[in-house]
Amino acid sequence: MKTLVLGIGNDILGDDGVGLHVARRVARMTRAPDITVKETAGTGLELLELIRGYDRLIVADAVIAADPKPGKIQRRELSDMTNAGNDISPHEGSLTSVIELGKVLFPGEMPGIVSIYTIETAGVEEVTDKMSTEVRQAALRAAISILLECNSLIKSTP
Amino acid sequence: MTRKITIEPVTRVEGQGKVTIQLDERGNVDKAQLHITQVRGFEKFCEGRLFSEMPVITPRICGICPVSHHLASAKAGDAILGIKLTPTAQMLRRLLHYAQYVQSHALHFFYLASPDLLFGMDADPAKRNIIGVIQEKPELARKGVKIRAFGQKIIEMLGEKRVHPNAAIPGGMNRALAPVQREEIARQIDDIISDSLLSVNLVKDYIKQNKDMADSFASFDTSYMGLVDDKDNVEYYDGTLKLSDKNGQVLESHIAPENYLSLIEEKVEDWSYLKFPYYRKQSYPAGAYRVGPLGRLNTAGGCSTPLAAKEFQEFRRMKTHGVPNGSLYYHMARMIEMLNTAEEIKSLVQSDLICGKDIWQNSGVVNEEGIGVIEAPRGTLIHHYKVDKSGAIRNVNLIVATGHNNLAMNRAVGDVAAEYIKNGNVNDGILNHIEVAIRCYDPCFSCSTHALGHMPLEVTVCDADGRIRRIIRN
Repeated sequence: MKTLVLGIGNDILGDDGVGLHVARRVARMTRAPDITVKETAGTGLELLELIRGYDRLIVADAVIAADPKPGKIQRRELSDMTNAGNDISPHEGSLTSVIELGKVLFPGEMPGIVSIYTIETAGVEEVTDKMSTEVRQAALRAAISILLECNSLIKSTP
Repeated sequence: MTRKITIEPVTRVEGQGKVTIQLDERGNVDKAQLHITQVRGFEKFCEGRLFSEMPVITPRICGICPVSHHLASAKAGDAILGIKLTPTAQMLRRLLHYAQYVQSHALHFFYLASPDLLFGMDADPAKRNIIGVIQEKPELARKGVKIRAFGQKIIEMLGEKRVHPNAAIPGGMNRALAPVQREEIARQIDDIISDSLLSVNLVKDYIKQNKDMADSFASFDTSYMGLVDDKDNVEYYDGTLKLSDKNGQVLESHIAPENYLSLIEEKVEDWSYLKFPYYRKQSYPAGAYRVGPLGRLNTAGGCSTPLAAKEFQEFRRMKTHGVPNGSLYYHMARMIEMLNTAEEIKSLVQSDLICGKDIWQNSGVVNEEGIGVIEAPRGTLIHHYKVDKSGAIRNVNLIVATGHNNLAMNRAVGDVAAEYIKNGNVNDGILNHIEVAIRCYDPCFSCSTHALGHMPLEVTVCDADGRIRRIIRN
């Protein structure tokens, strides 16, 4: 299955960069030919162009929770995300609406299977290239979970 | 009784905004405040880094207009090196900049603004969005995606990484344009120009059909600021600063961009993270001015290309006295600029110089100060760096478009709120209308932060003692 692992984030905004770090770890931990790893700081239509042509999409991104538990990882599916119309990512539109749009614009090119790994952050208000310890550790755990989902984790040799 | 109404966040603008409306004792609007979140610590993060790193660092503070920060930063670097660019480097910078305009204006119009115009401001937000557009007008949504992709493709050709471009460096560009890339642009540009013209007509028809509303909705007097070229045309990359009054009469002209401080001063308000620049020869807040598409078109005397020049004249004639001052005119101005920059791209790729190899030069000079000013799609962007003798950053000051428009956006919100809150009665339509008013300015609230998840627009009505009276959600 042609799979895209997409890390979203900004690596000079502290924990907001965790999605990118997850993607980098995934890239280092697998050699599966059917897995492509990409990083982006974009959202909305930018994503539409990146995710075209894959069977499966796995997104890793930071989330700001109302009652944050930094480093908490949750695996969600598209149906867990809110309604396409009202679910608005601050920039150009949510993942849900992007995929809806993509189904109309590019029939048959949108990933049929979508999972989203969200990592709760300790805060993204300060410009820094350092993540909090909890979130940095979570990046590795999220990468392992993603590769387990793809059944592509390189087994360590005894 | 004093009540506080809080709206947060505003959907479909870039970032998160929060609006507080303070009512007076009679239940009418006393003042409106648009709070803008800003990330902290950018200046500290930059201190000690070489100025030559700044063009790759500053784009990361904004996922929406990275190319604008990239170019303003490179221009500040040129000034530190004391270098005048080669003709090819200058043309490539312009190509990159115009491509950003095309993609940014297309995105804003088709993805964010067109739902308001197509379905009306009172339409249910569940329908008033891009999914609604694709269901009702799929060909329009396709055009939006196509125009945007064209701009993005050029950025990719020159900047390699599309989100964080790496094309301009102090002293020039780090990559030439290949002849095959030039041909690819040339093949598509006529189609893009024709779609841009169609987009101008779409907004123009909307405004003609809704003239009373366009003239009255979030309509108020301010000054306007923008860069102009030596023929007084709208200028996006270089030129001199010009400031016009509410009627379009010249207040200041031929101001070298590095003298921006002779025009504007910044005021700090304790309730907002973002400063409030104003025209320093007028008092605060009377010195409010607007930047961005409306600011540029109301300041300049014309547009540089034939089709855009014609539309410019028609735009200015839409107001018999003075210049168009309703916030909805931003949309028309934005589309005229998309047409103007698309035509500029065409003339750039018609010249053989665009594929020249002489794209970078160095100097043995490190000036201790550098100022780079460009017109970002959202308005005038100023990067001001001070460096030590080795070129390490000592001090950074950025004035962004959303800052310049800060006073005007607060005014727009206040005007709309006053329309929808009378004697303590809060009309439910207030949510949609405030959202539409803010969106005209296409503000960039918090740079590059993003989150997946539900973020509803919400109005909370509180008593003076803080008790919640009523919550309105969309």
